Amino acid sequence: MEKGYSQEQIIILNSRDNVGIIKRDVKKGEKIIIDEEKYQNSIEVKDNIPYRFKIALENIDIGDTIIKSGEIIGKAKEKIQKGEMVHVHNIEGLRGRGDLKNK
Amino acid sequence: MKKIFLGYQRKNNVVGIRNFVLIIPAQGNLRMLAQKICDFVPETKTTYFPWEIGRSKADRSVMKRTFIGLGLNPNISSVLVLGIEGSGFEELDAEKIRDEITQTGKRAELLIFKKDENIFSAMEKSVKIVRELVLEASKERRRAFGLESLSIGVKCGYSDTTSGISGNPVVGKLFDQIVSHGGKAFFSESPEVIGGEHILTKRAKNKDVAQKLVAAAKGFEDKALSVGEDIRAINPMPANKEAGISTLEEKTLGSISKSGTSIIEDVLEYARIPKKGGLYFIDTTPLCELYTGFSAAGAQLMLFQVGSNAIALNLKPSGSGGNIIPISYITGNSETYEKQKDNFDFNSGPLFNNIEKMDEYGEKLLDKILEICSGTKTKAETVNYQERIELYLQDPVF
Repeated sequence: MEKGYSQEQIIILNSRDNVGIIKRDVKKGEKIIIDEEKYQNSIEVKDNIPYRFKIALENIDIGDTIIKSGEIIGKAKEKIQKGEMVHVHNIEGLRGRGDLKNK
Repeated sequence: MKKIFLGYQRKNNVVGIRNFVLIIPAQGNLRMLAQKICDFVPETKTTYFPWEIGRSKADRSVMKRTFIGLGLNPNISSVLVLGIEGSGFEELDAEKIRDEITQTGKRAELLIFKKDENIFSAMEKSVKIVRELVLEASKERRRAFGLESLSIGVKCGYSDTTSGISGNPVVGKLFDQIVSHGGKAFFSESPEVIGGEHILTKRAKNKDVAQKLVAAAKGFEDKALSVGEDIRAINPMPANKEAGISTLEEKTLGSISKSGTSIIEDVLEYARIPKKGGLYFIDTTPLCELYTGFSAAGAQLMLFQVGSNAIALNLKPSGSGGNIIPISYITGNSETYEKQKDNFDFNSGPLFNNIEKMDEYGEKLLDKILEICSGTKTKAETVNYQERIELYLQDPVF
């Protein structure tokens, strides 16, 4: 795992990630400041998100992979906006279903 | 300054962190005798195991291998093997078990009783020998050893989002240190590899090891399917999802991070002892069989990394399993730690909001481990409780 970093409000584990982990409960409408040009230096929170849950760092299309800690943890099953909560309602595991065959 | 711990040099070329005499009853019939010897004589342990009757040949071989592994464990000073004349299974021949232990240089005594032996006279003969073994064990003295003499296992449980961020990665740092110095580090929990095979196989020493890793996970998945369970459909569990874990891969990723970044030297069958230093994966379940599995593979100590507070540690702090290696409960979740401080040895919870301090916490954990190895008890060791051990027995009982 590449060295992660955390800021006031968010943890980004790897520079390849498109989700971050928030460090306290955040409310819809709040702005999270990130010292990273890659994310335009801030994220507007689009959902009420509990402490330690995931937040989208950028817009994610249906079918796009979700990257955390530099690894694929699933794919989007809905369109996800930057700042939305990322969890079981909008992503699914690629390996999480009995109907999918293993490679 | 070089980091060290104080341990016991054993004749079979390993270093112990505790000092016990082990009683091995080679048949279920001798369990009571073994227990009673341990009640009478201090600093003794016994392998209170499930009955061997009705088990397959393969399972009895696993039992034999486990007994020998426990006898050879670094925390054991010497062994007394008990048998009954003319009866019992070939795989569990008391004399053969004793011989396989003494071949390595470790002292193991043998008592074979006649079938009509009276328990109280058996006690007299056994206790006499064990008292002498315990007296001799007490003459051993600790001396300084480096990280190359460490042999540590880790299991994780009750996963939440801290597990993959502030919990397991700290153990990963510890493991990297141990392995880079030539020590042994063990991890396991084959069903939990499902979804993360691609991450682990990247670190496999060679193609053979990579294949064994995939086979270990698949073996469990197939077993589950054969009895109508689909692991992939039931994992992550509701408790994991409530804690923020969304997919199986995410959970597995968090779990795997406890193994660090070292090359995976090999995949070990249950109760096999690796010869050289390195990171090893033991193919078995995440349950109590694993505790015994670590002991039988030669681990001195086992870490149990806990996420959320679902674990009822206050009700049973010392865990179960091999009983001859201490269990250290550690967590990366400060709420868990605060609620059960009496049971936890280490908290890396503050790391969650300060992830840059990962290396610092890795060092802190290493120092804690060295302290425990040198003699400081784990919180779990401060409670007297010994449970029947679970072994990894795969076949049906007839």
